Amino acid sequence: MSLRDHIDALAADNEVGGVLNIDREKAVALAVFLIPGLSLFAIFSVGPIVYSAVGSFYAWDTFTMEEFVGLDNWIRSLRDPLIVHWSNIQEFRYPMGALTHNLLWVVIHVPASTFLGLGLALLFADLKGRRILRSMVFAGFTVPPIVIGLVLMFIYDPQAGIFNEVLRVLGQEQWVRNWTQSPQVAIYALIAGGIWVHTGFSMLLYSSALSAIDPSLIESAKVDGAGAWRRFWDIIWPLVKPVTAVVVIMGIIWVMRMFDIVYAAGGAAGGPNHAYSVLGIEVYRAAFRPEIDYGMAMVVALIQLFIVAPLALYIARMN
Amino acid sequence: MGESALRVWYMTAISMDGVSKYFDAGNTVANYQLNLEVEDGEFLVILGPSGCGKTTALRLIAGLEQPSEGAIYFDDERVDGRSPSERNVAMVFQNYALYPHMTVAQNIGYPLKVRGVSPDDRDQKVATVTELLHIEDQVDKKPAALSGGQRQRVALARAIVREPSVFLLDEPLSNLDAKLRQEMRIELKRLQNELAITTVYVTHNQEEAMSMADTVVVMNRGTIQQIAPPQELYKRPRTAWVARFIGSPPMNLFRGTRRNGSIDLGEAGTVELPGKIDADEAVVETAGQDDASTASVVANSARDDVAVGVRPEDLTVSTTRPSSGNVIEGRVETVEPMGEYILLNVFVNDQIVNAKLSEWTVEKDERVYLTFDDDDAYLYDDGGELVA
Repeated sequence: MSLRDHIDALAADNEVGGVLNIDREKAVALAVFLIPGLSLFAIFSVGPIVYSAVGSFYAWDTFTMEEFVGLDNWIRSLRDPLIVHWSNIQEFRYPMGALTHNLLWVVIHVPASTFLGLGLALLFADLKGRRILRSMVFAGFTVPPIVIGLVLMFIYDPQAGIFNEVLRVLGQEQWVRNWTQSPQVAIYALIAGGIWVHTGFSMLLYSSALSAIDPSLIESAKVDGAGAWRRFWDIIWPLVKPVTAVVVIMGIIWVMRMFDIVYAAGGAAGGPNHAYSVLGIEVYRAAFRPEIDYGMAMVVALIQLFIVAPLALYIARMN
Repeated sequence: MGESALRVWYMTAISMDGVSKYFDAGNTVANYQLNLEVEDGEFLVILGPSGCGKTTALRLIAGLEQPSEGAIYFDDERVDGRSPSERNVAMVFQNYALYPHMTVAQNIGYPLKVRGVSPDDRDQKVATVTELLHIEDQVDKKPAALSGGQRQRVALARAIVREPSVFLLDEPLSNLDAKLRQEMRIELKRLQNELAITTVYVTHNQEEAMSMADTVVVMNRGTIQQIAPPQELYKRPRTAWVARFIGSPPMNLFRGTRRNGSIDLGEAGTVELPGKIDADEAVVETAGQDDASTASVVANSARDDVAVGVRPEDLTVSTTRPSSGNVIEGRVETVEPMGEYILLNVFVNDQIVNAKLSEWTVEKDERVYLTFDDDDAYLYDDGGELVA
């Protein structure tokens, strides 16, 4: 080995050592910064989920875990008419079970609030006072949902409520009723309230998506001969599509986790004879109201998680 | 191109008649009293500094803005008040405005699709224009995957595919680098020649204007300063502003006073300019073949403040005082070698005067004498209008 080679080999050794040193330092730094976040995540998210997942296979005596029962809790919960009420579903009569109610929210609330939000965003896009209007619509979303629930109670109040008053003024007396306590219509009244609140959220997202569209694209389409409808379908709608995905998924997550509005209107029972109960209400009642059924609470909470988690994951991974 | 599937379409003359455009409830005047004629198949360039209202003028023709006053005609048809789609205009935007979610072929075919052209016809026409613009192998790409020059071509293709009666371009080359700009300039001119389509082109770049235009419209502060073919614009700028705007470096203007048949330029000296000036009476000159004095009225007015304009390339520089002619004295401030010429900045009186030299004959701080021919001088009155 010549002297030259020897020196080169030494230099190479040093380099490798250097790289390793840097990596070690980096790794320590990474760990230091990650530990607080990861431990919080572990304690408050992963821990409870794993605990519930395990707990859902055991029998419970109030808050103490007893013996392993296999799928017992799962089968019992899924057969419970409080979760899915098959015979009522066939007759389309409420209550139809909490899971069914949640899915009904998804089917009605999500498209309605999405399209209303897009409509308002388009309507406000060129208006002079758009900032004030936007703030007013969005204000509803900033209010805690439990307060929204209380506000809805006022609006739908049989005597003092503004909604019934409007019906009376319009001469539609036959429709006047106690909206939140009539089993067969109450859920729609609550969904309407939910839409009102959530529209502000989707409008805000759509508004920013619309203002991100280069105005010359719209002008170009005008020059190309496209009318307002074509401009919407061919240019605006495809360009706001990513936002639509976010709005829809956030909407689904929001209604799958629904609790406050239903609780404010119908208490822990979820309305008269559970007429508009949702999964969140069932978890709460199973866990905190006698007869306490911890196993069922865990099962129902996990069902919620199974529906919401993949959606949340999809949004988090969107680019 | 050999077989032309693009037929030679109708040509359209455009005329603007006293068109004004105000914004902010009349507080902002974008265009004021524009009178403009564009002939069939003409390549007209609107040239002006940014904010001069040239883009607004183009948008008025496109129908993206409606005039506050005045009328716009395509041939004999009045079109103001009509939407862009009712005017059969095509426009290329500065940023190309390609639809990002559509492929190149979909972008180009879009105006046809809107018009209900069948997919087969559409494909055929798209194929023809993409070939014409040499982008036939890009048709399946999205605009984001294209280079600036290719996007430019797609925007052009989308504009010409529908055979518009008027072709409008808003600073189409300003986003390209210098080499590409040169290429596209030639390409654009070729296209316009082949298609013979009435074209209005807006730019702030005088090189583009001079090289491509049949007619140049110079605008400043919302008004038209001059309408002329490129060469005339250079040879006979109607106002001092146009004179300063056209040409690089700009024309030198010497402020002076008309006195006893000559012009007193203060410390810089006195120039005679026979045939250009007569202090005692108004003369109508018809003599001479040179551009500068074909037929001009020299007004005898109380306003004796004038400006004498001479282009840098028309100044002769010497270090000894010439015995005769128009002589202006100054001191060399800087010498800038520009390659094809050497640019002198000469300090005359209290102003900097530009002169072009072919050889490096003088040095900084040297005293020099600038001379020019009578024919190369322009005389402007105190309103900035060309006198002679």
